[in-house]
Amino acid sequence: MACTSLPKHPLTFFRAPNPRIPLSAATPTLPMATHSQIYGLRLSTNTTSSLPPPSFPQRMLICSKVSKGDVPPSFTLKDQEGKNVALSKYKGKPVVVYFYPADETPGCTKEACAFRDSYEKFKKAGAEVIGISGDDPSSHKAFATKYRLPFTLLSDEGNKVRKQWGIPGDLFGTLPGRQTYVLDRKGVVQLVYNNQFQPEKHVEETLKLLQSL
Amino acid sequence: MYTLTPYFRFSRVPRHHHRPCRATISTHPPTVAAPPRLDDVTRMSPTNVAIHDPSSLRSTWSHRAWVATGFASVFSSLAKSVAAAADSGSAVEPLLAAYVGYILADLGTGIYHWAIDNYGGPSTPVFGSQIEAFQGHHRWPWTITRRQFANNLHALARSVALAVLPIEALLYAGGGGGDAASHAFVGTCAGCVMLSQQFHAWAHEKRSRLPAAVAALQEAGVLVSRPMHAAHHREPYNTNYCIVSGVWNAALDRWKVFEAAEMFIFFRFGVRPRSWGETRPEWREETEAATKP
Repeated sequence: MACTSLPKHPLTFFRAPNPRIPLSAATPTLPMATHSQIYGLRLSTNTTSSLPPPSFPQRMLICSKVSKGDVPPSFTLKDQEGKNVALSKYKGKPVVVYFYPADETPGCTKEACAFRDSYEKFKKAGAEVIGISGDDPSSHKAFATKYRLPFTLLSDEGNKVRKQWGIPGDLFGTLPGRQTYVLDRKGVVQLVYNNQFQPEKHVEETLKLLQSL
Repeated sequence: MYTLTPYFRFSRVPRHHHRPCRATISTHPPTVAAPPRLDDVTRMSPTNVAIHDPSSLRSTWSHRAWVATGFASVFSSLAKSVAAAADSGSAVEPLLAAYVGYILADLGTGIYHWAIDNYGGPSTPVFGSQIEAFQGHHRWPWTITRRQFANNLHALARSVALAVLPIEALLYAGGGGGDAASHAFVGTCAGCVMLSQQFHAWAHEKRSRLPAAVAALQEAGVLVSRPMHAAHHREPYNTNYCIVSGVWNAALDRWKVFEAAEMFIFFRFGVRPRSWGETRPEWREETEAATKP
């Protein structure tokens, strides 16, 4: 589905070191049975259109966006072995879904290696880790082999899921954003963390939350 | 065979230091000119001229002439600044402008250095030989300390001379001959850029061989220090690009400015910078001891 966003604030880049998106208390957290997110004014007949909550003054998204408290739309994507993997397969255990720009780029390598190095802690918390980027399965396979990544990497070809979940871009939209979601056992999002240039922090933040789940 | 001129060999191209100057044409990093390919895979047989062609490290009269012209253009700018300041009776503005020129020259050298270190290759038009020379410098960093003064600076001096002239002309065209601050900025910025190659050489020199004043300036952070520049000479050569004072290095590295630019270029043009991969074997650093026969 289409997702339009107005131009981001040019200082978004300078937000990068601490761009956590904590949802304010004012955000309606509707117990979602469907994947429509309707926060306020419905702008079109498309049931998935919505305005974001007022806690995001720097940009406006006119599309569905996955936020804390939502059950995100499920997806089925190919993993690094070429097998189809559905998000729904992980229901019943916490899942860390981290979206990253591309394989074999410095930040993404740091992030993947950080998840790898802390993987035991994630396993201890009973959680699964999934990395998603727009690269194809063969790129994921090479990346996972080179860095001995023990978790699943999924190919979001065409960045459809990224757009569907409403992940903001960086540097005026030229860079795919680096955003991580933690889903609890019921498949509800409990954390949305965004940080383009400090990829290791994604591991810290997600572990912190998992330990409290 | 190319000579290992570590820096800034070409002429007739506006220098990167134009980037911070006001009335200017600016040089964009060669990324825009570089063809959209992942890497320049031209095989090369790098030659260490310090061993195989030591005469190429000596200054020629052509080198000296260009350095003299470069200094003349810088001093002319500074002299105009002093004259204008004397007229107006105020030294504060030109001194401040000179300081800004010194600071921005550091940034300019960093941006240019980053671009040349990461993009293009020996077959890149205009910049190819320089890119190759930069890689050669990574392999044999100590060679720069063997170059005579004019040999080291002549390429930069040429570019400075050819850049300062039109800028000064523009300042005059602006009416009133330009003010003290503008001339001070141009003169200092251009002067620091031209001398950056000497600062760079000093940053490679052994402590014991440096004049005491130079060592003191390095320690004070006025000139780029040896440890700071040594940090650049570690694979994958992705930090500490600035070489005038190095004052920008900490911020640029902490804020991942170059990494952001690299990501932008990668996603926009599909070109990966050299610092994302392993250093090619023919460009791995050799120590002086290992190289000497």
